[in-house]
Amino acid sequence: MDLIKWKPTELFDPLAEFDRIREEFDRIFGMEPMITGLFDRVRSPAIDLVENDDAFVVTCDLPGVELKDLEVSIANNVLTIKGEKKDTREVKDAKVYRQESWFGSFQRTLSLPNTVDPDKIEAVMKDGVLKVTLPKKEEVKPKQIAVKVS
Amino acid sequence: MAKELEGKTRRVVSPVADICEAGGKVILRLEMPGVSKDDLDVKIENDELIIEGKREPTDSKGRFIIRERRNADFARRYTLDDTIDRDKVEAVMKNGVLHLTLHLKEASKPKKIEVKTK
Repeated sequence: MDLIKWKPTELFDPLAEFDRIREEFDRIFGMEPMITGLFDRVRSPAIDLVENDDAFVVTCDLPGVELKDLEVSIANNVLTIKGEKKDTREVKDAKVYRQESWFGSFQRTLSLPNTVDPDKIEAVMKDGVLKVTLPKKEEVKPKQIAVKVS
Repeated sequence: MAKELEGKTRRVVSPVADICEAGGKVILRLEMPGVSKDDLDVKIENDELIIEGKREPTDSKGRFIIRERRNADFARRYTLDDTIDRDKVEAVMKNGVLHLTLHLKEASKPKKIEVKTK
């Protein structure tokens, strides 16, 4: 389950437009969600969750996030990625012409099935992309069963 | 065949950009997560600043449960006017963010003209 709704950050994103139109409809017809996530924000990092035979792989775009500002944890099969994105430009009294990015704290949580081995999780940060590999427990990995002809 | 085609028709998105000016410099900050220094191409061609970044395609092995990241390369172009010094462009890539510093030409720094009242 996603606690935090993701909104695309790219400009002129047709998918975002559809989202916006749907939200507008929801607003007009009074179908606004009564419940929103506690850590909902306008924008939060985009993630991919892929399942393959051996593991679940979470990939998260975190451009400009320093390793020291990032925290990845797992408790009761809930993976939490949280941190803070800081403005790294060292300028004072700047005249801002365009500001498309966001800065601040973010958090995303993902519920994972209990087939994940919490002791073998690996997280790697490279070029602003976080990749968390969550291997499945040995006993749940699919096994090839040879079918014999009798 | 399909893979070959996929490689050729890879989509391109604009990186998220912040642009500001301070102390005779124009600073661009472009977010290009997944782009390494070697996969980045920044050039100036005919008064155009061209920024292109290639990144690894998202993992196609396995089943996507959540798919929010765009499987695309980054590209953005800006036109430059004559006040920008073409020979003094600095580019730093760190944590998937490109910091570009463009300098304004010394001669074209604005001279303040005093407005008098009669």
